[in-house]
Amino acid sequence: MTPLVQVDHLEKRFGEVRALDRVTFEVDAGEWIAIMGPSGSGKTTLINILGGLDHPSAGRVVVDGLEIGSLGERELSRYRAEKIGFVFQQFHLVPYLTALENVMLAQYFHSITDEKEAEESLRRVGLADRMDHVPAQLSGGEQQRVAIARALINNPKLILADEPTGNLDEVNEAAVLNLLRDLNEVGHTILVVTHSQAIGSLADRRIELEHGRLARISTASLAKD
Amino acid sequence: MPTRSMFFRILWKLLGASGGRLTVALIALTSGAAVCSALLNVNLDAERKLTQEFRTLGANVIVAPPAGGDASLADASVLDRIAALHAPQIAATAPYLYVAANSGSQPVILAGTWFDQVAKMNSWWKIQGDWISTRDDHEHCLVGQTAARQLGLVPGSAVQLRSGGHTVSLTASGIVTTGGAEDSQVLTSLDSAQSLAGLSGRISLVQLSVSGTPAQIESVTRQLGESLPGVEVRPVRQIAAAEGTILGRIQGLIFWTIALILVLSTLGVLASMAALAMERRRDVGLMKALGGSVPRIMRLFLAEAGTLGVLGGVLGFFVGVVLARWIGERVFGVAMSARFEVLPITIALTLAAAVAGAFPLRLLGRVRPAEILRGE
Repeated sequence: MTPLVQVDHLEKRFGEVRALDRVTFEVDAGEWIAIMGPSGSGKTTLINILGGLDHPSAGRVVVDGLEIGSLGERELSRYRAEKIGFVFQQFHLVPYLTALENVMLAQYFHSITDEKEAEESLRRVGLADRMDHVPAQLSGGEQQRVAIARALINNPKLILADEPTGNLDEVNEAAVLNLLRDLNEVGHTILVVTHSQAIGSLADRRIELEHGRLARISTASLAKD
Repeated sequence: MPTRSMFFRILWKLLGASGGRLTVALIALTSGAAVCSALLNVNLDAERKLTQEFRTLGANVIVAPPAGGDASLADASVLDRIAALHAPQIAATAPYLYVAANSGSQPVILAGTWFDQVAKMNSWWKIQGDWISTRDDHEHCLVGQTAARQLGLVPGSAVQLRSGGHTVSLTASGIVTTGGAEDSQVLTSLDSAQSLAGLSGRISLVQLSVSGTPAQIESVTRQLGESLPGVEVRPVRQIAAAEGTILGRIQGLIFWTIALILVLSTLGVLASMAALAMERRRDVGLMKALGGSVPRIMRLFLAEAGTLGVLGGVLGFFVGVVLARWIGERVFGVAMSARFEVLPITIALTLAAAVAGAFPLRLLGRVRPAEILRGE
């Protein structure tokens, strides 16, 4: 089976600084991967390149058959809209749109909007009674669940989550992790950037970076169930 | 829900989200549109009102026997042919017959004319005594101030004029000061002058007051020339040129004022939009991360600016109408009427100013989502 993600000798330089240095790994469809490492190790840079938000300096990144480095701006926009679902640490919701509209915004940039489908997506993350609230009226956990509903709405091939529980309390962290685990169980491929060993232990595999280099790839010690 | 509805839903929220900054931009646009609308209204009405007022400043077209021709007089039937044209631009038609006469031993020029028409085109003439109101008054005359001094006449004086073997007795109704040749003449009815000279049905020339722009006056002159064979129709170039210059200068002044106002409005919008662009960087970065293409995102912001432009244009038009009425009352002494053909022009100009002022928002297309989303 062809891997969903192929990263081959990926390099990213910012001037003299090598944020990523010849990183190579593969991810199969349906895997939950934790990308770990200390601050400045290149985790976010890696996830930005995988998400088409940044360009590699060298090497190849292929996601679902598309080589990211060869895509122009227009193709990258389509790639992000159709293949990627982002979940950010800071939630990044549009503050003047309601929860429902934030989810529909992703539909809008993907193709056509479907309000019923967006409502269903919010129900799925337990926000049936918060659809018409703007982000300022939602707790951090609720905002992150809106972001997850938004990431899921277009059925992306790959969900990229950058410290998704970094701004949440324990209760909301558990809720968000349960959501991600449920998504993974129904077949979604998830790459999560995290500092947390606990979250890392939930993943199928852990990719550890140090100073932009791939330090090790390990299988999780704890069973997901 | 169709994608178009979502577009308007986001647009509506965008307009509500930055109410303060957008209100400042809207005020700048409405103010600019109001001045533009007022000036355009004034421009359209001023041309009409000024050309009307010009017509009280003397004749601007002369109909006369051709210079150097055999006949020095024209047939009065030319007046019927002018009337038969039913040209609405002809504001007044005053025939003149000049007769060399004597009052006692003093020579004087007697001018026979239609006073009702002369009054329409010579409002600046100063009269001491009474004006003659009808063309059928054969007993009175107006005496030019120089002639009155030479003949020792005052309002109410009797004057007897002689020419050839004919004599006419008139009463000086008033002493007139014109600043022109009439100051040395005695003016009476056309019929009286024709009787005195024994030239029934003959006239020396016709003075016409034709309203309109220089081009319109030229057109009427051409039409008259074609309809009146055997006589020469010529515009009084100095007057037509002066009127054209005044209208041209007023229009130039209005054009450049509008241009300046639009530049200032654009700068006002530019300032608000530059601040707004900084606020919107995060939203644009996020929209790009969600797969929004630059043209699709920019369409939202341009639609926002366009909405402001249209709204500013419509509001400004109505404020401008009120302003134009006020200017009309102050400058022309009458209220200017609302000219709805100005509305689409005002909207188009304000829209252009709004879209030009939204230039900083277009720079948002360069936002790099990765930098924005990591908080740079």
